Amino acid sequence: MLIVASKNQLNSVVRELYHHNVFHIEDFTGEEGDGYEGFTIGAPLSGAADLSTKILRIRSLENTYGINPEKTDENGQQACTSLEARIDSELSSIEANVEAQNAEQNGIEVKIREYEQRLIELEPFITFPVNLSLLHGYENFSVLAGHIPKDVELPVDAETFFDTGVPGNLLVAIIAKSSLDEATTFLSEQGLRLIPIPDMDCIASERIAWFTQEITRLTAEKEQIDERIKAQREEHEAFLVACDELLTAEVEQMEAPLRFATTEKTFVAEGWIPSESVDKITSGLQTATGGKVYVEELEFDPVNDTVPIEYDNPNFSKPSEILMDTYSRPGYSELDPTIFLSIIFPIFFGFILGDVAYGLVLLAVSYGLRKVVKGEAGKKLLVVLRNLSISSIIFGLLFSEFLGFPLPWAPIGINRHLNIGTNSSGHAPDVVLLLVLSAWIGILHITLGRLIHIRNASVRFRNHKSHRNKVILGQTGWIFVMWGLLLIIWSIAAIPLMPDLTALPQIVSGFNVAGILGTVMLLTGVAGIAQDNILELTELPTVLSHVLSYTRLAAVGLSSVAIAMVTNYIAIGLIIEPALNDLSLIGIVVIVFGIVVFLLGHTLNTVLGLVGGGLHSIRLHYVEFFTKFYLGGGKKYNPFGMIRRFTEE
Amino acid sequence: MVVETIMTVEVAQASAMGMKAIGAGMAVGLTGLATSFAQYSIGTAAVGAVSENKDIFGLVLILTVLPETIVIFGLVVALLMLF
Repeated sequence: MLIVASKNQLNSVVRELYHHNVFHIEDFTGEEGDGYEGFTIGAPLSGAADLSTKILRIRSLENTYGINPEKTDENGQQACTSLEARIDSELSSIEANVEAQNAEQNGIEVKIREYEQRLIELEPFITFPVNLSLLHGYENFSVLAGHIPKDVELPVDAETFFDTGVPGNLLVAIIAKSSLDEATTFLSEQGLRLIPIPDMDCIASERIAWFTQEITRLTAEKEQIDERIKAQREEHEAFLVACDELLTAEVEQMEAPLRFATTEKTFVAEGWIPSESVDKITSGLQTATGGKVYVEELEFDPVNDTVPIEYDNPNFSKPSEILMDTYSRPGYSELDPTIFLSIIFPIFFGFILGDVAYGLVLLAVSYGLRKVVKGEAGKKLLVVLRNLSISSIIFGLLFSEFLGFPLPWAPIGINRHLNIGTNSSGHAPDVVLLLVLSAWIGILHITLGRLIHIRNASVRFRNHKSHRNKVILGQTGWIFVMWGLLLIIWSIAAIPLMPDLTALPQIVSGFNVAGILGTVMLLTGVAGIAQDNILELTELPTVLSHVLSYTRLAAVGLSSVAIAMVTNYIAIGLIIEPALNDLSLIGIVVIVFGIVVFLLGHTLNTVLGLVGGGLHSIRLHYVEFFTKFYLGGGKKYNPFGMIRRFTEE
Repeated sequence: MVVETIMTVEVAQASAMGMKAIGAGMAVGLTGLATSFAQYSIGTAAVGAVSENKDIFGLVLILTVLPETIVIFGLVVALLMLF
């Protein structure tokens, strides 16, 4: 959409667009030609600088109080006009308050540190019974004080005080100045470490007691101030986040002209809006500017222009959009694979983890973390986790697994219980069945991917018939190669769960009808691929490797079962059960140890299952599924406007 | 001194079982080494990238786990051997 008006209308146009919150501005960079010669980037509306300073002040207050607008819950919305009036009056008073408290806190901290330093100086003299001021200010005497390993007899006349009550022993010696050097040499030989004598007029022990008392009092005062700050935080939180939002919205609107192309008296804004909003925006702009605006819907090229993309999925698929965004947003004319992802990803995960207890634990985690995790992305991931855990529970009921123990019924369809521990003589796991089933899932998933590519090509290239036909033939070629190869394999060997075509009559050198048909399909497929792009032939082995990659569903699943059963075997079979026969104190300790091993093993397995199962399932989508058809590279739809959480207009 | 063992069917079967076990162990062990070498360098680069830009975490996590294929194939071979 193109909007042109004179600069007088700039303010009303900007406000109207911001209010509707659907216009994605195509930024004018001032570089390209095509029609924009002579235009420059606009200047912000007046008042932007002033508002920016106010926002800075509010943000610094939020910092001091530790308020984070994104993590704050909404408690009703405040009206904009009343808020604006309050900002000027209250902001300065809050700031003055905060400054005073900060100054107070700093003062207290400085004092505490000073007292602690003095305490350290005084500590060694705690048992010295005389006032410390008597150790200073002599003309004919010097005083030495320090730590010494043991009491010594000085070679000169001296008054000494020795005490072992302090660590390192205290020696205080008053010596005539004339014999100071001799005494110092002697004492340092004896291992004296000098310490400074504090310059205070007191008896050490009394002053130490006083300092300690003061420090406790000041710490209590500091805590009081912290409490006061916290109480103020509660009081001002709602006001501050509302002001933050209001001012941010204002500044965004003021700075919008920076993204428009302007001349001396007019401006041009180009942007994208959803097709259903065209009429609403046009009429809104016409009323806001009194008809003094030119609005036009422009043509665009769906293939080459970067159109901003917003998802349009049913509600149950919406949380999986975050998994799509991790890879890349879909392009404009592509099929959005989010639906497939939202259904198949939990199925893969359940197939791998397949345990009722782990599923229940993950379900509990997904509900429990709802209080802790804030933010859009986190909440979506938690919903995805909930789906994964439900799928895991369903598969656990099918596979009859609970924390590695078999449930009272036999596994339905496929048996994953390995021959470990109590199950050593039971039914062996259906490994080949699992592998073949995973291969089938792979074949079908990949065929689906190629079919989606065909559909995408027919939409993208609906104007270039020849290119479209080339791509469609190429993709059909890939499908033929895969199924042709399958037919050949089925005609040669009988694989469980796959059609057995070995019994058909043989025609040429061991190939029967199905084999010949398979070879024909294979060769046609290769020709199809080659006519699209001959270099793609180097990717032929991926037909095999990508399908076999799906066998990880079976392998990772079996390894998860194995860890669970081994943990049970070690904890119960090897540690707890023998100890149950001998219930002495050692026995109880051993039983507790066994329980610890049990819990540790299963916690580890849950985490491994979640991370490993989730990663492998999503990797199968990203690498094996998406590379068949997905282009991605879509730009995120970022409309000019704001969803107001704390204010209302 | 040479110890002579009489080769019976049970002995042959047991030693076949033992060989299979060694084969399965080597399959998983050696492929595990290969995967660890691959994921080692990718993981180092991934941590470096994430420390500069937190948004990219999901993508680098997937990239780091990409070479897991190698050890999965080793596991599949081991399972096919043992069962």
